[in-house]
Amino acid sequence: MSTPTFWRTSAHLSRRLIAAKQPYRCLSCSVRLAQELAQEQAKQDAKTTHFGFEHVPESEKESRVGAVFSSVASSYDTMNDLMSLYIHRLWKDRFVRSLNPGLHPTTSSLPSSKPTPQTILDIAGGTGDIAFRMLSHASTINNDHTSRVIVSDINPAMLSEGKKRSLETPWAGSERLSWVEANAEKLHMIEDESIDLYTVAFGIRNFTNKQAALSEAFRVLKPGGVFACLEFSKVNNAVLNGAYKRWSFGAIPLIGQLVAGDRESYQYLVESIEKFPSQREFAGMIERAGFMLPEPPWEDLMGGIAAIHKGVKPV
Amino acid sequence: MVNSKPCHAALKPSSCVRSKPCRRLYHSYEHERPPPFAPTESRILSAALSHVPTHGFATAALIQGARDAGYLDVSTNLFPTGPFSIVNYHLVTQRLALAKDAPSTNDTANNISENIRTLALRRLHANKPIIHRWQEALALLTTPAHLPTSLRELALLSDEFLFLAGSTDVTSTWYTNRAGLAVIYASAELYMTTDMSKDFVETEEFLTRRLAEGEKVKGLVGGVGAWAGMQAGGLVDGLRSKGIWI
Ligand SMILES: C[S@@+](CC[C@H](N)C(=O)[O-])C[C@H]1O[C@@H](n2cnc3c(N)ncnc32)[C@H](O)[C@@H]1O
Repeated sequence: MSTPTFWRTSAHLSRRLIAAKQPYRCLSCSVRLAQELAQEQAKQDAKTTHFGFEHVPESEKESRVGAVFSSVASSYDTMNDLMSLYIHRLWKDRFVRSLNPGLHPTTSSLPSSKPTPQTILDIAGGTGDIAFRMLSHASTINNDHTSRVIVSDINPAMLSEGKKRSLETPWAGSERLSWVEANAEKLHMIEDESIDLYTVAFGIRNFTNKQAALSEAFRVLKPGGVFACLEFSKVNNAVLNGAYKRWSFGAIPLIGQLVAGDRESYQYLVESIEKFPSQREFAGMIERAGFMLPEPPWEDLMGGIAAIHKGVKPV
Repeated sequence: MVNSKPCHAALKPSSCVRSKPCRRLYHSYEHERPPPFAPTESRILSAALSHVPTHGFATAALIQGARDAGYLDVSTNLFPTGPFSIVNYHLVTQRLALAKDAPSTNDTANNISENIRTLALRRLHANKPIIHRWQEALALLTTPAHLPTSLRELALLSDEFLFLAGSTDVTSTWYTNRAGLAVIYASAELYMTTDMSKDFVETEEFLTRRLAEGEKVKGLVGGVGAWAGMQAGGLVDGLRSKGIWI
């Protein structure tokens, strides 16, 4: 299945850095160093969290993640393409197709039940990548022209990049597409039980408190609503894993430097992937938030380089 | 599929009487089996099944089932295999339903063949309400992604027939071969999809004939060949790869 290409504007993106880079270092972090740091930090009382392989105070992670995404916002798409060898597009297509957003055509005409249009919340939706695919799928596959998507991101630079790109889609300025600046852990502007489908693609590993974000997802979803996450995950084949590690730790920060002039931000991206829980652990976290899991609870993409997790809120 | 764990988990330890070898490790007693589907899944899938006569084994039926159960269209994400989950639900629940009024095992010793025939027939008749949609189910069952599940379920059904018919002690006759019985049942099921006779008497005759000529392997090959050929699903290869004689 092909995806319309009208929003693929990466080539035309300016390489301008939107925000000045914050002075931070995450690099030099060999695993050993990070582990020592971890032990040292554990002794202290202050609550800390991962920032890549670094440990930073929880209060600080948000701003440091913010700095990363501010600095990569405009070159983000080009980078994704290069880093994943264009595969992230296929994964996103697969993600959206498997979710099948929109009201199903053959049933929406039935008198038995009149379904209301879906409200989809795309968290960490930054550049609108997932949102545009959702709307496209709902319209062209399910012939549903009423369901809408709210794109939410903590980072205003990413959101304005998305808004800019939406101008090249049919949904610019339509009420089917809206934008909300919010931290996924505190979605107070979103009402309880108001969302049909909550998606987060390549976002949740950046959250300071992932379990809190899952609880918020549970709160805002309607009963029967679906949580869905696309994220880098754990490769389950040793050979592939070795090759993948060499690629991600070696080449990605280098490409980051060449294309975006920003090695450190991409170094962070690679390390945050490494720190993210395994498929099984993450499925456990989803269940703990109250969701029912499908069987099997996740789908590995390319041997686990990425995985799709889902959960359904019980009625 | 969902929660349809192999029966070993619920095996009754005392069914392995020491003096006799425990031949049917795969079987378990009904009252000890865990429910094969979680409550929410059962509610949605049983509702979905009731929409199969109109919508077929298709996403539309699944979505209608979700709505009937008070869920949303998008809740069907609970079923990663989509419409196949309805097929699987039907197979598992109908297999388990066979135990409800099975022949009592005391007076079965001499009548195993007839018991098997009765059970197989009863199982075939459970397909009546959806028989005009059953070829859709067969198409799903024989897609490569679902074939392992399909074959396992067919083998379990065969075991169920043999167990409920009381054939535990019979070791030498042909029909203790679960694969042979599976093949006969599967071909009868396919036969039934094109049977226009009243109350499917022709399917019954077909089944009776096949069981009677059970030892004649040639006949079986014809049946399965037709089944697999028609579905182009490679069932024969699938069975062969499982080491089953055909
Ligand atoms: C790698 S990008 C993913 C963007 C888009 N979903 C995609 O798949 O291309 C990660 C996004 O997560 C956002 N983010 C990081 N922490 C967040 C938080 N606590 N709440 C909401 N968004 C956050 C970042 O601003 C960034 O836009």
